[in-house]
Amino acid sequence: MAEIKWPEKRRLIGTKVPRLDGPDKATGRARYSQDINRPGMLHALILRSPYAHCRIKSLDLSQAQKAPGVRAIVTVGQVNYTAGRKEGKPGWEFPVSVTDVGRELFYHGDEILAIAADTEEHARDALRLVKIEYEQLPFIVKEETALQKRLGPSTVPGKDASNVLAGGSRTEGDPDGAKKAAEVLVKGTYGVPVITHCCLETHGLVAEWESPKSLTIWCTTQAVPGTAGQLQGFLAGHGITCSVRCITHHMGGGYGSKFGPDIQGQLAAVLALVAKAPVKLFLDRDEEHLAAGNRPSATATVTIGGSRNGTISVFEAASYGTPGVGRAAGVNIGILPYVYEVRNVRISTDIVRLNHGAARAMRAPAHPQNCFITECAVDDFANAAGLDPMEVRLKNLPQNDPAAVTKIPTSFPALRNTIYTDEIRIAAELSQWKKKWHPPGKGPTKGPWKHGIGMALHTWGGAGRADNDVFVTISSDGSVLVQCSTQDLGTGERTVLAIVVAEALGLDPKDLTVVIGESQIGRSTGSGGSTTAPGTAPAALVAAINARDELFRKVAPKLGLKPDDLVLEPNKITDKASGKTFTWRQFCARLGVDTVRGQGNWIPGLSNLGVGGVQVAEVWVDTETGVVRLDKIVAVQDCGMVINKLACESQVAGGVIMGINLAMFEEMIVDEQTGRMVNPDFEFYKLGGMLDMPEIIVHMHDMPERGVIGIGEPPTISTAAAIGNAICNALGVRVPRTPFSPDRVLAALHARK
Amino acid sequence: MSETHPPPGKPGISRRQFLTGTGLGAAATTLLQTSEARTQASKVQAPKTVGFGPNAVACELVVNGARISVQIEPRVTLLDCLRHYMDITGPKRVCDRGTCGACTVLLDGRPIYACTMLALEAQGKKIETPESLYQDGQLHRVPAAFAQYDAQQCGFCTPGFVMAMKGCFDRNPNATPDEVEQCLAGNICRCGTYQQMRDALRSLCKKGG
Ligand code: FES
Ligand code: FES
Repeated sequence: MAEIKWPEKRRLIGTKVPRLDGPDKATGRARYSQDINRPGMLHALILRSPYAHCRIKSLDLSQAQKAPGVRAIVTVGQVNYTAGRKEGKPGWEFPVSVTDVGRELFYHGDEILAIAADTEEHARDALRLVKIEYEQLPFIVKEETALQKRLGPSTVPGKDASNVLAGGSRTEGDPDGAKKAAEVLVKGTYGVPVITHCCLETHGLVAEWESPKSLTIWCTTQAVPGTAGQLQGFLAGHGITCSVRCITHHMGGGYGSKFGPDIQGQLAAVLALVAKAPVKLFLDRDEEHLAAGNRPSATATVTIGGSRNGTISVFEAASYGTPGVGRAAGVNIGILPYVYEVRNVRISTDIVRLNHGAARAMRAPAHPQNCFITECAVDDFANAAGLDPMEVRLKNLPQNDPAAVTKIPTSFPALRNTIYTDEIRIAAELSQWKKKWHPPGKGPTKGPWKHGIGMALHTWGGAGRADNDVFVTISSDGSVLVQCSTQDLGTGERTVLAIVVAEALGLDPKDLTVVIGESQIGRSTGSGGSTTAPGTAPAALVAAINARDELFRKVAPKLGLKPDDLVLEPNKITDKASGKTFTWRQFCARLGVDTVRGQGNWIPGLSNLGVGGVQVAEVWVDTETGVVRLDKIVAVQDCGMVINKLACESQVAGGVIMGINLAMFEEMIVDEQTGRMVNPDFEFYKLGGMLDMPEIIVHMHDMPERGVIGIGEPPTISTAAAIGNAICNALGVRVPRTPFSPDRVLAALHARK
Repeated sequence: MSETHPPPGKPGISRRQFLTGTGLGAAATTLLQTSEARTQASKVQAPKTVGFGPNAVACELVVNGARISVQIEPRVTLLDCLRHYMDITGPKRVCDRGTCGACTVLLDGRPIYACTMLALEAQGKKIETPESLYQDGQLHRVPAAFAQYDAQQCGFCTPGFVMAMKGCFDRNPNATPDEVEQCLAGNICRCGTYQQMRDALRSLCKKGG
């Protein structure tokens, strides 16, 4: 077979194609997992720990069991109890005195049990009838407190002596020497708090057993086959051998928090088994904030120094961050000082475990934090040196790697300097940087309002992954069915597959039927690391070409033609030998009762990894009230070969908006006295609305020669840093922590006086 | 609102009993009055109230022109009634507390949060859900603009925004982009599709809605 390449001339790829499921989603016809209602379906709810740390002293389910409509109760202790396998019994056949009493709960919102009832109202009533006695235990919910009590004892799960774990350290060159030699040396502390994913469709699923051997779940997940597999493994652990099918036709956001069935998936599967009825279990909004994942905080004290001409020679960061009861925090010592090349580096980090919900991957794990820490410091260094921070950025970028340039010229190391230099130039033009930048605090004013502009850079991987299967079936009526088990988180993945297959078959994407989000279709990898488009688009191209070749092989003999003479063009098939042409439908009609099916798997050479990205923010800050008004954000982003420009631009703007939320509004607030999160809602946990949004200018820096690279994560990384730098440029003083709320702005102004 | 009790001998429960039973405190205060009783109440000083529940009662709603009857407990919100009892799932349950707009429906033409109204209160009113905007193969121009300008990613917020925008244009076909944006201020999109929604609404404003 000839080597498969992206077509030289692209009719559809790189253009703006409205997503295929747009009308269905906009009119509520698209069924999300949460919209699935099955005959005889029960509604389940979870009971959660009211305390930040406690032990279950006693648990009495008798009243709840008798409550109207209740059909099944299953505890977390039971689903975790696999010791009974030896006796041939699953965990839920053991009494709670064995499985749950004495169990420790480690945060406000930690799961205790779930109840399934005929109506949600009845399930809610029954939850209140569960009688539990708790022994309250010491807890820590503030990072600084945990750092003070570094010696322990630990208040979080696991065997460690303390809440604080060493997150590692890294030293390169001679940071102490470089600090002494530096002409300009500045020190600052920068930080971002814990924020939560806030998927609008909360975590959860509908679980239905068709037979004792076969379970179907409609689960909101960003790893369709992975979730089915995990649940199957969980049930096997209790001695239940069955197949699990996962369906996720549409999903209401994941952002990194939905990679498995989670405890609610296990509970729902067991409740459905015990009650012998389908069960729907979705979290309420407060539970979603408390227990469905969050992004670790990061705080770093940075010392940055270098020469007066702007070359950075030393970067030191002593940092910490919390993953809640999780174990992986937000500072990645391996990737500081982020996109810059600095010879003398010293990085250390502490992982501060606290009694709140565990962190999960969130849209570009570790990058927004590391970007914020680095980019704020770089600006402070430029300001201290009296230089334009854009020039300082250009000066400290790594060069293109000469070895890579010769060996793999489309790789990121071969292009990194070129990409950033181009993107900075484009961003500077679109934002009128040269005209608008001014020394900090010395810009235009309107009464108490001061103008500021700031920039930040980011990077991300976004590689394609193997283990992605796409199937293309062509029928005699000319219809084309595209199937892949992958999921559409909102990225437009369904349409990506349609565009690629339609491009290869000369059709209109609207004419194809795309079925995704069904685990039994085949292999696909979870949507993590911006890997879905680069993983599946190559597979779709291969599948389409295989289907086309198979079509030619089957039909050509019937027409007395040779497959090799056939050329496929938009809606037309031409026989080179005779000059005869057929429409797509005419040609396919010759299949008769036959169909053809092409399979494609991911192959290297059609996707790539490594992107840059530059953002510029323009703000006005009211020095009397501390209010920050965002005026404009410019985002310049590459992602190799753009497949759908419309969806790409939307991803970038959406990433920017998530960055705006990090910068301006979001923070998980946990009360130190009670250990409870005080804003598990959308009233006091703020997300920006339409009127908070500045003008957002997106520029796609299309590099088709690089192949497909993921776009979901990178555009959210640098927004908060750019906004922070813009505020500093307006005021001449750094607001060190997000969210940049009026009180923090005023406090920073006050501290200068 | 002051404590209200049903007149002796009449069916119903007191607000306090009701609260103990449900925990839906915020919604409960309006429960004990049907919409008619409330109109009355605004005219007379001491409201006469009717008690329902706690068991299921009949509820008939007019949704997208169709009359649908179900048996629900009085505490069931309009949103839950639509989603759980009528299988009308276009309105989404996201916050369930009137803070996100994902559940927006039109009630007699006015956008409301379906999660903050009891289903019984919506009886006798004209309820429009997003599903009404795609009927007989005809896509209404508001969702059509959302699709054309890609003003949705995961799309879970989208039906709510669409209804809020439709409500805006229904009331003022000549609404300016700024006015339409004001109408969307009660909705939240986590994926961040505001920029594309602006493109969509501007295209509709140019066409005079
Ligand atoms: S669900 Fe009704 S406003 Fe959020
Ligand atoms: S499109 Fe996902 S929340 Fe708005």
